[in-house]
Amino acid sequence: MRAVRLLVWAAGGALCAGMTLALGPVDQPDVIKHRAVVYFTLSFIAITIGVIVWDRRPDSRTGLLLTALPFVEVISDGKWIFWNHAFPVTLALACTVLYVPLFAHLVLSYPTGRLTTRLDRSFVLFTYGFAAVYALPYLLVFDTRAPHDRFVYECFDCALPVTHVASHDINGLTDALDWTLLPLALVFLALLGRKLVRASPGGRRVVLPLSIAAFLAVAQFIAHIALNGSPDTTWKDTSWFWINSLVVIGIPVSLGLGLLWGRTARSAVADLVVDLERTPPVGVRDALARTLRDPSLELALWLPDRGTYVDSHGRPLELPTPGPERAVTVIGEAEAPLAAFVHDPALLERPGLLEAAAAAARLALENERLQAELRAQLAELRASRARIVQAGDEERRRLERNLHDGAQQRLLGLGLALQLVRVELGPHANGASELLTEAEEELRAALDDLRDLARGIHPSILTDQGLAAALRSLAERSTVPVSIGAVTEDRLGDPIEAAAYFIVSESLANVAKHAHATTIRVSVTRRDENAVVDIDDNGVGGADPACGSGLRGLSDRVQALDGTLRVESPSGGGTHIHAEIPCGS
Amino acid sequence: MRVVIADDSVLLREGVSRLLDDEQFDVVAKVSSPDELLRCVATETPDVAVVDIRMPPTHTDEGLVAAETIRGRWPRVGVLVLSQYTDTDYALRLLDGGEERCGYLLKDRVLDSGQLADAVQRVGDGEVVVDPELVARLVGRVRPESPLDELTPREHEVLALMAEGLTDRGIGERLFVTPKTVETHVRHIFLKLRLPESSSDNRRVRAVLTYLRN
Repeated sequence: MRAVRLLVWAAGGALCAGMTLALGPVDQPDVIKHRAVVYFTLSFIAITIGVIVWDRRPDSRTGLLLTALPFVEVISDGKWIFWNHAFPVTLALACTVLYVPLFAHLVLSYPTGRLTTRLDRSFVLFTYGFAAVYALPYLLVFDTRAPHDRFVYECFDCALPVTHVASHDINGLTDALDWTLLPLALVFLALLGRKLVRASPGGRRVVLPLSIAAFLAVAQFIAHIALNGSPDTTWKDTSWFWINSLVVIGIPVSLGLGLLWGRTARSAVADLVVDLERTPPVGVRDALARTLRDPSLELALWLPDRGTYVDSHGRPLELPTPGPERAVTVIGEAEAPLAAFVHDPALLERPGLLEAAAAAARLALENERLQAELRAQLAELRASRARIVQAGDEERRRLERNLHDGAQQRLLGLGLALQLVRVELGPHANGASELLTEAEEELRAALDDLRDLARGIHPSILTDQGLAAALRSLAERSTVPVSIGAVTEDRLGDPIEAAAYFIVSESLANVAKHAHATTIRVSVTRRDENAVVDIDDNGVGGADPACGSGLRGLSDRVQALDGTLRVESPSGGGTHIHAEIPCGS
Repeated sequence: MRVVIADDSVLLREGVSRLLDDEQFDVVAKVSSPDELLRCVATETPDVAVVDIRMPPTHTDEGLVAAETIRGRWPRVGVLVLSQYTDTDYALRLLDGGEERCGYLLKDRVLDSGQLADAVQRVGDGEVVVDPELVARLVGRVRPESPLDELTPREHEVLALMAEGLTDRGIGERLFVTPKTVETHVRHIFLKLRLPESSSDNRRVRAVLTYLRN
């Protein structure tokens, strides 16, 4: 295939060179000949770029179209240079507006070379048909009475026309065909706009340079038709000549820029290797996103034990179904993948780059996977700990309810029965009355104990009236004077309120037992997304959270909620307990 | 005096009913849920409703909510809430609805028919009743320095009885002194605690409770 491309390139060179050489004997002013030389040189450069693109992307039609475009433009110029030779003129006439469909095809199908939507396909097909129809009248007609500046028509008897109809008879038809190009150009612009809007961010970046060049080319095309009534440019008018030359070279150059981007992306893989040496493990995704120039890149790491993908934090991740929005590239073998990239579909156009990046990042990815596995286990552990604490709280609430509604009611019932017995016995049962009084005393003590027990298991007031009321109740019962500072009136959720309550109640009990303090200050405030509990006393200090199950249990409870508990207790300097519990979840 | 009893436990409902019956109260209805209670109060307009604080459906503070509704809708009906909680907040919540014809009593009091009957009678008479245990805890609570230290032991006694909702006459009967003497004590207490003096016997309950609590 490379031979074919070389041959095409050589043919292009020969064509442009031939045209240039043939300029010599043509009866035209020197300035026009000079311009022609410039134009053919630019065309040859365009053909060269086209062949290079074709060679680098043999599976895409873009290169072929890019090569064909300047080719047919040069061929269609043959009617001016070989004006007295039948074959080149005929060929030139046949190719007159062939650049229109080729251009539309190239731009709308870039960068894959495939037209993706039905509308695009229909439009391009229509322009091919239009180019054929457009050439017909010129092939069939010659007119020696045409104005001199369109001199080529003077030699129509040297072309290969089939009929000899005078062209002024069909002037209306040719004019109409010329004007039809205008709406075609407008429809093309609309389709181009649609393509840009629909493209993914990465895809848009690839398409944008060519789109701008195409937009400028079509704008000049429209302006030319509007002003001159025909798309044909001659080399006589200085400004139109230069504009046309810019357009001719602009398309391949802007396309080449896209390719250049691909080149720098390749060399970025080398930077990636260096980058990965330095970055901490979580930075792998960022390094890859930089290298692949896809900020939306997501990294999914495969955990074989679980058979799921997770993100860098170990959170389970569902791979999206590949589509126009997102694409998925699995790294490693299909049965035992290492990871998967979820990325912009535009990257699929450069599979080599993806592979290179994945290969470079392989070690880092392995490392990342181990870390993610660890994090996933940690997250599970944390969740299960939170569940255990929550289940414990539920159980406490249930127990408290049962004590109140079961045992306590029965004891009270028993007490009522004793009352009735007393009434039945009347005022004269001396011995029995004393026994009854004793039983009632016992019963009262039992009820007191039961109430304290239920309260210690779970205070109803916490659920019913909130943390502030429950803390006030605690303070009323404390044997060391407590001053309650600010307490948030927000409901913080059962687990957080329970944790805050038990931190305070356990701390008050500890102070009463060990600290010899004369005052305790308690506050619970909201700071950002955290509930902050502070308890200060003016006691002897020296509390060690490592000893004593009370503080230890509190610390566990707080950590299960992703919070922190700090105990500062310098000897002789009082004790300060500070807990922060996130309320976000 | 016409009384309605609301408690979801049959045992207590019947027991309290018999106790009050023996004490010459006219128990006109016994119900087991807040909805029934409200319907019953609407039709019977009793003098006092004796309400358990924990009732269906959630068994938390439905009784208190029902009590608040009754006090809002039928101000002439007294409400005595029987509770197993010694938390001051519940009692103050009840007092928020107006400082007369209401009471907050621990359920244990049913073991002493005299105390229960006395409370029902007082609520029926338009007074306020606060459980002595709750008050005792507030009064006996440890404090850093406080104006309470300046009170004489007798004034302490009077303060506690005030907090329980007793009138000057009631306090006098308890302490075997004349209401005039009680009045003097009360004036001294208000002065020492720097509380604004209150004209009504009842309205001072809340002020004293709030003071004791802070």
